[in-house]
Amino acid sequence: MNRTIDIEKEDSSLSHIKYQKAKDGLFKIAVILFSFITISMVFLIIGTLLVKGYRQINWAFFTQVAPDTFTAMMAKVSGQVIPGGIANGILGSLYLVGIASVLSIPIGILIGVYLSENSQKKYASLIRDIADILQGVPSIVIGLIAYIWIVVPITKSYSVLAGGVALAIMMLPLIVRSTEESLKMVPDTLKEAAIALGTPYYKVIWRVLIPSAFSGLVSGILLSVSRVLGETAPLMLATLGNPNINWNITKPGSAVPLLIWQFYNDPNMVDLIWSSTIFLMGFVLLLNLISKWIEAKRKK
Amino acid sequence: MSAYIYNMQINSDKVLKRVLFASSIVILLIGGGMLVSLIKGSMPSISEFGWKFLVSSKWDPTQGSESYGALAFIVGTLMTSVLALIIAIPLAFFTSLFIAEYFKGTKIAAVVGTLVDLLAGIPSIIYGLWGFYILCPLVVKLGLSPQGFGVFTSSLILAIMIVPYATSLSNTTIAMVPNELKEAAYSLGATRLEVIKTVVLPNARSGIAASYVLALGRALGETLAVTMLIGNANIIPTSIFGTGNTMASVIANQFGEASGLQLSALIEIGLLLFALTTIVNAIGKYIIKKIG
Amino acid sequence: MKKRIILVAVLAIIALGLVITILSKNAGSKTISGAGATFPQPFYNAAFITYGHLAHVKVTYGGIGSGGGIRSLKDKVVDFGASDAFLSDKEMNEMPAPVVHIPTCCGAVVIAFNLPGIKQIKLTPDVLAAIFSGKIKNWNSTELKKINSGIHFPNKAIVVIHRSDGSGTTNMFTDYLSKVDAAWRAKIGSGKTVNWPVGIGAKGNPGVAGAIHQTVGSIGYVGSEYAFAQHQPSALVQNKSGNFIEASVASVSAAAQCAIPADTRVMLNNSSAKDAYPIAGFTWLLLYKNQAYNNRSFAQAQATLKLVDWMLDHDAQKIASKVNYAPLAPNVAAKAKAILRTITYNGKRVLK
Repeated sequence: MNRTIDIEKEDSSLSHIKYQKAKDGLFKIAVILFSFITISMVFLIIGTLLVKGYRQINWAFFTQVAPDTFTAMMAKVSGQVIPGGIANGILGSLYLVGIASVLSIPIGILIGVYLSENSQKKYASLIRDIADILQGVPSIVIGLIAYIWIVVPITKSYSVLAGGVALAIMMLPLIVRSTEESLKMVPDTLKEAAIALGTPYYKVIWRVLIPSAFSGLVSGILLSVSRVLGETAPLMLATLGNPNINWNITKPGSAVPLLIWQFYNDPNMVDLIWSSTIFLMGFVLLLNLISKWIEAKRKK
Repeated sequence: MSAYIYNMQINSDKVLKRVLFASSIVILLIGGGMLVSLIKGSMPSISEFGWKFLVSSKWDPTQGSESYGALAFIVGTLMTSVLALIIAIPLAFFTSLFIAEYFKGTKIAAVVGTLVDLLAGIPSIIYGLWGFYILCPLVVKLGLSPQGFGVFTSSLILAIMIVPYATSLSNTTIAMVPNELKEAAYSLGATRLEVIKTVVLPNARSGIAASYVLALGRALGETLAVTMLIGNANIIPTSIFGTGNTMASVIANQFGEASGLQLSALIEIGLLLFALTTIVNAIGKYIIKKIG
Repeated sequence: MKKRIILVAVLAIIALGLVITILSKNAGSKTISGAGATFPQPFYNAAFITYGHLAHVKVTYGGIGSGGGIRSLKDKVVDFGASDAFLSDKEMNEMPAPVVHIPTCCGAVVIAFNLPGIKQIKLTPDVLAAIFSGKIKNWNSTELKKINSGIHFPNKAIVVIHRSDGSGTTNMFTDYLSKVDAAWRAKIGSGKTVNWPVGIGAKGNPGVAGAIHQTVGSIGYVGSEYAFAQHQPSALVQNKSGNFIEASVASVSAAAQCAIPADTRVMLNNSSAKDAYPIAGFTWLLLYKNQAYNNRSFAQAQATLKLVDWMLDHDAQKIASKVNYAPLAPNVAAKAKAILRTITYNGKRVLK
């Protein structure tokens, strides 16, 4: 009698295990399959870019300013590579993203810390919700806001500052939320131990919490920077563009996406859009590698 | 002596707490300021059309008989963003597990992660062009649509664009689930899937949900890529493969040349998008709470 | 240790940036900025780069759209605006101060199409209007065959492609259609954006040209500077004198060989000139008549006006024709220069 029951129990638990193992195997296949699909999309897109743009990449591309349409037309007609490059756009983009980062990263991290430390309060939920809503604002509306707040009253001209502010507003939600969610994942025990040792609050945050959540912070910042590097619409309304290299923060500046837009609308310079995008991709890749290197160094 | 240090510490704590609180006000200021500026700009349109603006799908900029309504764009925005999220979530979910769980810490996870992050750096105009040159002919070949434009094509591109947002925060939080919890479950004989279901996901839920909300926000506000692929017909789409328009797209299209009442109507659409994002986010967060 | 290095590096970069900014502010090199129409942007960019080397000034131009240009000028954040459509009397009143229009070149709207094996078709004004309003739906219709004897049209539906974004090109085209077709004027009218009864919208000239290229049986309108550079097959349009004219730099310039008002605010469509291409028009730079506003220096006003004056001269106009824009006829250039010399700074004329 007992034996049959035992066998039934063993059988059912065995089949239960087999069922779980089957599901597990299927799930793993799904994980690999879907990841493969995602990666193929990436290769498809980047492959198209490389194929269309590799010819325009040369040393001059990075050091010379954008050509005019006539020079491009002549080159196109004779089948040559279009001379000139996107130096004004590259330096302009770096300048803009630099300003945006200085404005958004410290404040974004502070807000993220605040939210994770006060997550129960209603006020914190409000701030969190507003940050999420800001993420949904179209880039052109943010450009309009920068125009109304900075271009007209403050710099009285299209300016790098207005562009930087617009980009900073776009970076903020992502940095805030990444910081908050990463800090939330740090086990409470760490924080409690530090407090129990009498560590002052700022040291708890600066030396315990943030280092533990560091990789999350870096990912969020990296994603924000990658995004604003490629934004066009807000810069059209805030920075206008500049055929020269410009360091004056109150005057119009250039950026690679603005150049891409200009090239796109010009029948002679269309070919340059692919190489310009390759540059942006390369830069994002560089940032990615740098952040992974920082991660690796920290782990040591 | 120790009392002195103690007091100093309490003061520095207080100062820090005040600094943190003050920084949060920045979000309030930006959000509130934006709302005020948008309302100010929409006033002419609001006073002219009132509630009709929300239910009319007529968009007629003809001089002398101007009449604007946002319904077609509201529907277009909802259709494309929700569809994009539906397509992107499975891709992002499984890819996140690949990077942060199954192959966590390995070189291949780093490569895959970097490749996905590259997607975020591609300008939207390039996505639009890629969609135009590669996706549209494909859709035409499959017989789904006569010229390849439409809600479906736009949603597909949007989905690819928002995958990095959906994976980034998910990767972080899934990877940060404490190993001890997972070890404990494994030692009880659980399979990987069971560990994921019972340990990893519940722990990382908040971060994963946050990343999907951010991805949705990105989709709602995306302009250029959608505008190049959706066909720009100011009508309510008749099917997933029909043409239509979205709120962000119509603003971007007509903003450069608009003035007067049309400009105000466009700004009002921006305001409505603000409201729409709020509502959709709230619904999303509610659903997440219910599932958990 | 590492964090400290990073912190120092970041501060150093910020400090460097501030130093450069302060230095460049006092550099003395003048910046002139303008914004507006996308149509003349390739020409303006080429001209401004040349002028920049000549006069040692830095000129920036942003093609954000005529509406954006007018708005920027209204908000006084640019030295000049640029528009494909002249300001109406009502719009002139809305500007904070009187504004003058300076035409810089001419452009046209070209009717491009995609019919395999067919390189040229003729269109009359009514047929053109009928196609774009959806009244003529198929290529092998009787109206088309009547004016194109000898061309074998396929039995294919006509796919109309128009602009989805607001544009001066649309304005020029619909203004022409309103002038030549009463039904169009009544139902659809003219403007930078109109309620198109049929067709697909594509963004920008590249969008329309690309869509036409990819869709067999399509027809659409493209800005001339784009069409000329792309060598797309285009239609011959019948002008007011009855001739079927092909769009070219010459036929577009010819459209201005007629009476132009003193302030140059006129649409050149449906010109009575014999060899004129019928869908053509000016593009203008907009400036305040009194340049003493917003703490603007006399030097800045003078630099701006010198730039505009140079644009009307032979060298700049030659650049225009080299990049497929139609230069100004001499009578128009003379009128434009005269207008420039009415611009004052606190009562004093800026240019001699």
